[in-house]
Amino acid sequence: MSLATLTKDWAATSYGFLDASAKRELRRKMLKAIAVPGCQMPYASREVPMARGWGTGGLQVTLTLVNPNSIVKVIDQGADDGVNAASIRRFISRVSGASETWDTLGASIVQSRHRVPEEIMREDQVLVLQVPNPEPLRGVEPNISIARQMHADADYGRLWLTLYEQIVRKGRIMQGASYPSMVNGRHVMSPSPIPRWDVPKLHMARHLTLLSAGREKRLYAVPPYTRVEPLVFSDRPYLVEDHADLTCRRSGVQGFFMNELPQDGGGSVFEVSDSNLGIKAINIAEGTPSEIGETWYRHGEFSA
Amino acid sequence: MAYVATRGGERAIEQAERLFRQDLGTIDANRVETIRSTMPYLIDRVMGEASLYDEELAALALAQTGGELSEAVLVLRAWRTTQPRLSIARPVQQHEVLTQRRISAAFKDIPGGQILGPTLDYSHRVLATDVLEGKPFAPPAVDKAATPAPARQPSLADWQRQQGLVAPAKASNVPPENIPDLTREPLLFPASRAHRLQSLARAETGGVLALGYAAMRGYGNAHPTVNELRLGEANVVVRHPRGTEFAAGRVRVSQAEVTSKEKGGYLELGFAATFGWNEVKVIAAATLDLNSAAAPVGSPVHEEFYLYHTESVEASGFCIHFKLPHYVTFQSILDAMRDAKAKQAAAEAKGEAYVAEPEEEPVL
Repeated sequence: MSLATLTKDWAATSYGFLDASAKRELRRKMLKAIAVPGCQMPYASREVPMARGWGTGGLQVTLTLVNPNSIVKVIDQGADDGVNAASIRRFISRVSGASETWDTLGASIVQSRHRVPEEIMREDQVLVLQVPNPEPLRGVEPNISIARQMHADADYGRLWLTLYEQIVRKGRIMQGASYPSMVNGRHVMSPSPIPRWDVPKLHMARHLTLLSAGREKRLYAVPPYTRVEPLVFSDRPYLVEDHADLTCRRSGVQGFFMNELPQDGGGSVFEVSDSNLGIKAINIAEGTPSEIGETWYRHGEFSA
Repeated sequence: MAYVATRGGERAIEQAERLFRQDLGTIDANRVETIRSTMPYLIDRVMGEASLYDEELAALALAQTGGELSEAVLVLRAWRTTQPRLSIARPVQQHEVLTQRRISAAFKDIPGGQILGPTLDYSHRVLATDVLEGKPFAPPAVDKAATPAPARQPSLADWQRQQGLVAPAKASNVPPENIPDLTREPLLFPASRAHRLQSLARAETGGVLALGYAAMRGYGNAHPTVNELRLGEANVVVRHPRGTEFAAGRVRVSQAEVTSKEKGGYLELGFAATFGWNEVKVIAAATLDLNSAAAPVGSPVHEEFYLYHTESVEASGFCIHFKLPHYVTFQSILDAMRDAKAKQAAAEAKGEAYVAEPEEEPVL
């Protein structure tokens, strides 16, 4: 047996860019995160050839999960062809040999910034959310050391208090996206800045969700079939965005999360935020074969 | 697919990058070498912030990014992260550093003497406009001293320890493989001193200066006196698998030790060191280190604050990410705002009092 048979040819970078020790650490931290749903696990977070805050946390998780048979979809604000989504998707396929898709139904890994796809994900799919600020307590406690202690004590009183104060001052909870949510009845997490519309999609979902913040060096998970409950008072129901009656001006779909486009001379029109859902709807309308999967929302009502 | 055509993102970004690179022109080995040899202090700064000591790669990173410093540091760090950690060098001892410059502001003279070395400190900062008129600026030759300064200089703190001015060193004998490595472990708080000093060593110069200056100007509680500032070259001593130690090369290093009033019968010392020669950074960083122990939690001179906020790659990355679209989160804010306004209008229509509080941005 020669040395050559025992070694691999030299390569400029490892498979999937990250070296084995980085992937090993990420796998261990992902398993821990799954074991304690919603609890933030610190990890080293390596530098990758992309600016911090542009999805490097999600990217490191995806690069660890990916294999040559993977089919990867990357979303930015609901769109697959946003500049950063396209760039991340291209990078993943370049360093891993995985194939690319825009179709939620056809993907094995969906990496996303700020949206959960409208089509229901399956047990064999993984959703990787890029997280800018993993700490739900940041607004009430900017000091990480103290915030970690508060999580350990399940001390979320100050978070409840700010929500209460918003009701007193404004008549409703003003939290837009990243609505703080209790996972498995124990840890409050920030579900990444997905709109309130998307938070119910994580509750008892069939798929695994991994949330990773590269810049802040934390990752956490919502395992399949796990409770995700937005913090609400019993007499103030959870409100999703009021988009149930909006219609997409391009695809004609109704009852999904929409992007508002201001118009000259006032007023606005709307486009469906999940762009590939819109494309599928247009295809179907034009007679091109296309399949829209079951969606979490039907006619604007949550129905999963 | 009309829906797609209007976006046109992928082609546009490719052209945008071409436009940037077109401005820089062709990059060849010659340009890299010119940058390396003419901008040593810039190279040092980039190597320090990237925690990668390689002048040629640093020059290449600068050439490739057109001198956009945070991009150059990111490119270098991303390259560095792909490299294996082969060995851990023996800690550099102060008295072993081949010293080119070493000054103290605490004493008029110190054992070993003050060595000015290369500095602009006492120069008139006049722009050499003659160069543009076609008269090249050729620096006058250095007159050598009658006797050369010794290459190695003792540590001033060692002398202070002998005099009982500084607390005895608490250095423990940690096996090299047990020295914590910030690039392989997350920074947690309270940070170990090793992590704090590593993080300061690769911190962004401008950020460290801003927060160090805040500490100096009165937001910290310790006025720094420069105990010893040193520029030199350190041998990188590594162990061969057979057990022998050898120098794998030399790196330029800067180091600052600052001191304050006494505490518990001793002078306190703050310390910082970094790759390359960067005096401003090590003095500011050593001041932050000096202030750490007594800094109020949550203040800008508390370690959690300054270590997080001087991390150049993270700070610049997050800052430029705000250029990415945010319409989903913004839509969510609009929705809450409109609903709250509708509730207010409804309350007023019914003649009920509505307390309008100042706008408060919800936490994102």
